[in-house]
Amino acid sequence: MRKGFTAMPQTPFTSRRGLLFGAAAVSAGALVTGCTSNESSADEPAANDQPAADDKPGKPVTIGYAGPQADHGWLNAINDNAKKRAEKYSDVTLEITEGSNDTAQQIGQIETLINKKVDVLVVLPADGKALTQVGLKAMRAGIPVVNLDRIFNTPQAYRCWVGGDNYGMGLNAGHYIGEKLKDKPNARVVELAGLDNLELTQQRTKGFDDALKNYPNIKKVARQAAEFTVESGQAKMAQLLQAQSEIDALWNHDDDQGVGALRAIEQAGRDEFLMVGGAGALAAFEAIKADNGVLKATVLYPPTMAASAIDLARALGQGKGIGGLAEFEIPSTVTCYSAVVDKENVDQYMPTGFK
Amino acid sequence: MAPEPPLLSMSGITKSFPGVRALDGVDLDVQAGEVHCLLGQNGAGKSTLIKVLAGAHQPDTGTIRWRSEEVTLRSPIAAMRLGIATIYQELDLVEHLSVAENVHLGHEPTAAGFVVRGKVARDSTAQLLKRLGHPEIDPGRLVGELSAAHQQIVSMARALSHEVRLIVMDEPSAALDPDEVDNLFRIVGDLTADGVAVVYISHRLEEIRRIGDRVTVLKDGRAVAGGLPAKSTPTSEVVALMTGRNVEYVFPRRPTAAPQGEPVLTVEGLSREGEFAPLDLQVRPGEIVGLAGLVGSGRSEILETVYGARKPDTGRVLVDGRPLKPGSVRAAVSAGLGLAPEERKAQALLMLESVTRNVSVSSMSRFARVGWIDRGAELGAARAATRELSLRPDNPDVPVRTLSGGNQQKAVLARWLLRGCRVLLLDEPTRGVDVGARAELYAVIRRLADEGLAVLLVSSEVPEVLGLADRVLVLREGTVVHTAPARELDEHRVLDLVMEGSPAS
Amino acid sequence: MTQPVSPPRDSTDKVPSAAETPPWRAVLFRADVRTLSLLGVLAVLILIGGITKPDEFLDTRNLQLVLTQASVIGVVTVGMTFVIISGGIDLSVGAIVALASVWATTVATQEYGFGGILFTAVAVGVGCGLVNGVLIAYGGMVPFIATLAMLASARGLALQITDGRTQIVSVDSVLDLGERDAYILGIPPLVLVFAAVTVIGWLVLNRTTFGRRTVAVGGNAEAARLAGIDVRRQRLYLYLLSGLCCGIAAFLLIVLAGSGQNTNGNLYELDAIAAAIIGGTLLTGGRGTIVGSVLGVLIFTTITNIFALNNLQSDVQQIAKGAIIVAAVLVQRRTASTT
Repeated sequence: MRKGFTAMPQTPFTSRRGLLFGAAAVSAGALVTGCTSNESSADEPAANDQPAADDKPGKPVTIGYAGPQADHGWLNAINDNAKKRAEKYSDVTLEITEGSNDTAQQIGQIETLINKKVDVLVVLPADGKALTQVGLKAMRAGIPVVNLDRIFNTPQAYRCWVGGDNYGMGLNAGHYIGEKLKDKPNARVVELAGLDNLELTQQRTKGFDDALKNYPNIKKVARQAAEFTVESGQAKMAQLLQAQSEIDALWNHDDDQGVGALRAIEQAGRDEFLMVGGAGALAAFEAIKADNGVLKATVLYPPTMAASAIDLARALGQGKGIGGLAEFEIPSTVTCYSAVVDKENVDQYMPTGFK
Repeated sequence: MAPEPPLLSMSGITKSFPGVRALDGVDLDVQAGEVHCLLGQNGAGKSTLIKVLAGAHQPDTGTIRWRSEEVTLRSPIAAMRLGIATIYQELDLVEHLSVAENVHLGHEPTAAGFVVRGKVARDSTAQLLKRLGHPEIDPGRLVGELSAAHQQIVSMARALSHEVRLIVMDEPSAALDPDEVDNLFRIVGDLTADGVAVVYISHRLEEIRRIGDRVTVLKDGRAVAGGLPAKSTPTSEVVALMTGRNVEYVFPRRPTAAPQGEPVLTVEGLSREGEFAPLDLQVRPGEIVGLAGLVGSGRSEILETVYGARKPDTGRVLVDGRPLKPGSVRAAVSAGLGLAPEERKAQALLMLESVTRNVSVSSMSRFARVGWIDRGAELGAARAATRELSLRPDNPDVPVRTLSGGNQQKAVLARWLLRGCRVLLLDEPTRGVDVGARAELYAVIRRLADEGLAVLLVSSEVPEVLGLADRVLVLREGTVVHTAPARELDEHRVLDLVMEGSPAS
Repeated sequence: MTQPVSPPRDSTDKVPSAAETPPWRAVLFRADVRTLSLLGVLAVLILIGGITKPDEFLDTRNLQLVLTQASVIGVVTVGMTFVIISGGIDLSVGAIVALASVWATTVATQEYGFGGILFTAVAVGVGCGLVNGVLIAYGGMVPFIATLAMLASARGLALQITDGRTQIVSVDSVLDLGERDAYILGIPPLVLVFAAVTVIGWLVLNRTTFGRRTVAVGGNAEAARLAGIDVRRQRLYLYLLSGLCCGIAAFLLIVLAGSGQNTNGNLYELDAIAAAIIGGTLLTGGRGTIVGSVLGVLIFTTITNIFALNNLQSDVQQIAKGAIIVAAVLVQRRTASTT
């Protein structure tokens, strides 16, 4: 289902500014200008003369948006975020194509958008590698491309990439669990990974393992890979629980398969551990808020990145930079922060939860 | 004959298959440049002999000399290398390849060993086709799009694409129109003029008279006459050679009284385009009606159409005066028809299943309540039916595939006996059945008739039809050319009729 | 008329290929060997599981777990076995399970409660089976193509219904069926359904006219037709049966996973075919057993279980699965040819 997640940036933390901006973008439904990120203050003036993009209507911009077929809750949320964000701006016209998982079809759609001479393109490719050529074509035609999540083969094919951080997901999940269990001797942790033949699964696992290295009292005792589906989540979790009669924490890569994992936990009558999820599904947020089960937190792979992509596209179209940053231009890479959502901050994220 | 040594000399060839001695010491001499005809009834060994010659079968004993040197034909390729080509009755062309690709299949002209040089292949194919009098055939066309006659030409072109000295043609005229037959004969004439020998197999005596030089007659796996002059040997002598038997079957006695009663099976004007002309016949209870004819005379097609397995173009089938729904096997079976088809293994038997299940398959619902089978009753009934036919071994649990041919046929008959069928359609009932077991099968068939069954029998073995049936219809190419009580006919007469076609008095 | 089987008689020597042993004994022996070899494989697996993880593997809860996990695919495999025995194939089973499970868990369906969910799951399964059956039996389509088309369209429809969202079941009576409290004498209800489907499947195949016709059609369709069997109607019923099994399996999956998702039943078609084949069902039709297929499912599920308990990863699991298929088929060929 999530094959498209494979094409991730090779170096998640390309720049500090990417990290900064990522944090801002993640602070969802919110703001780009007057960025409320922890590290920059909203009223600090921009350090350049270039006007920063803000909510005030500016030069009209037509943004072409080509996304994949929404065959998964997360992708649905991506498309919704893009649309809602565009509606917010009176100066933005969104040319949206029918989502497609067929590479050839998506290429055709993007070429149509190029021919229509939209001002900026936002593309979430069905397959990043396969759509590189059409990205190059748009760039050569003078249409800046904002590449969303699944990255093109070459930076020449996009003006700006904005996407999620799989390594960071694992890292943050590991740190969260580590902090919770740091006083517990011989703590036992299990991992329910996603589809194993996807690179992103390996990245998430690597981040998780790297974080746990900071906590010598914690040992990862088992790992099984599910397939991002409820069915596989239930099956693999049931086996994991049978294999480990007592655990202290579980990290599950994906909230969708987490539905199945929670079902298996319920069926096994287990509740002695804490569970951390991944992605940021609404059902997970609700469970965290209710706080009546093992699920205590989830690590984001935020669909709000689509809204940020629209913001970036608008700034590009209006020739503006980003408030809170010193540069004249918007960054070339924006990696969204994989924030941990737990009971403390869940209300803030609730509107971004996807079904 | 020519004084020079023969091109091909086969002597003492024997070949056995499980249960059958197909060739029993056959000799055959073929001279360069002659048309040597092979004659014989079905099962006489013609096909086996040409397969030995083509390298497709290895003889058990015997020697083959090719241009005075002893050779072993280990494979079709070995035969081809010597210059022996075979054109089978069932054309062995690949329909989805082009004419040129078929002609050069297996010996494509290549560059650098593997790149097929299509142009070269097409040009040489075009030349061959021209030589065969058919320049209009496009070497680039798919063989599947060609007519049967043109396919035959392609097959011949394939044979000639090799350095060929002897061509075997197995009933080449069977699928051809008279014009095309003339062209075929012209080609044969050209070939022999070039010194190529032709071994020609046909049922049609008049063809043999037209183009043949010498005739070898096969019967029961032996050459009963070799090198007879094709043009001057009297028909009666040829037929006598073909029919004179070493093995005499014992046929059961016919009932003294002619069968009475209303016909149970009536066929009215039944026909299928290209298969058989409108046919009328009636079979009464206790009567065995035989259809005699050669392969391709429409016998099996008639039976299958009566049975509803093929849909008739015209006419109808009535059982007890009530017409059957055309083209419905189920209607026929419900009305009391049962078929023992020619290809028992392919068309009648469930080879992985036991005798019981094979016997009960058409009457399952009789032993079932709401689909639930009473296996005790089923077994009992199946055993009763197989015992009545003396099926061996007397154990209905054995898989049917372990039975001999005769007992497999009994299992099929037991199926219809159990079903309580009233009209039995038998298509080549003794095909694949040992000589020894045939008499028993004949007795069984006669006994079933005596018990009131109507039997419609089809066989290419004329003595079988004459010995078993009460009444005989002689078929030639889909048309009944003669009808008579069996005792008024003899084998000679029937063979004359099926080969010459003239219903002479 | 129904005399007992007579003692060995002199006539056996007339049977040409009967060889030395009476053929009926060879058949029994062969059938036993096939099942025994599967039981042997299962025994070896249990041994491996017991040695590597004695506490976790040899445990009542683990037995319950393995059988529960086998239930959904097991029910599908019973239907698939019938289809393969008849000489056909049903590639759409996974997609039908997906469609039935999402249709039965829409908000609208859930309003009708337990009965609504069960009925919808089964009805959707049967409906898809009917379409398959009509296309194949009366439309003259090749089963491979017809069910491949069903695979594509059922998956597409399932996606359209869900928009890719997971549909959580909130009907307690359905959810409760998957909890420990619902176990009857320690047996999960899902396993009871699986057992019932297995027993009924065995009876239908071996004791009814339907089963006989299935075998006849698969063994020799032309012979079956000429013996007066309505081959087309039989084919229709067979795909209906497979669809019915998918519907039941979809309901079990809803109970098990507490949800419906368009990704459900992923690659069930391959798992079911593989289980049937290692169970001794001929892919060309005409022969197969329900017991063999169910053993095939249990073997696969046990392997998965042992691998998971030993914390081996999915790459190793997949390699082992492939090896088991090859080994089981080779062993069977060997035993078949040596007897």
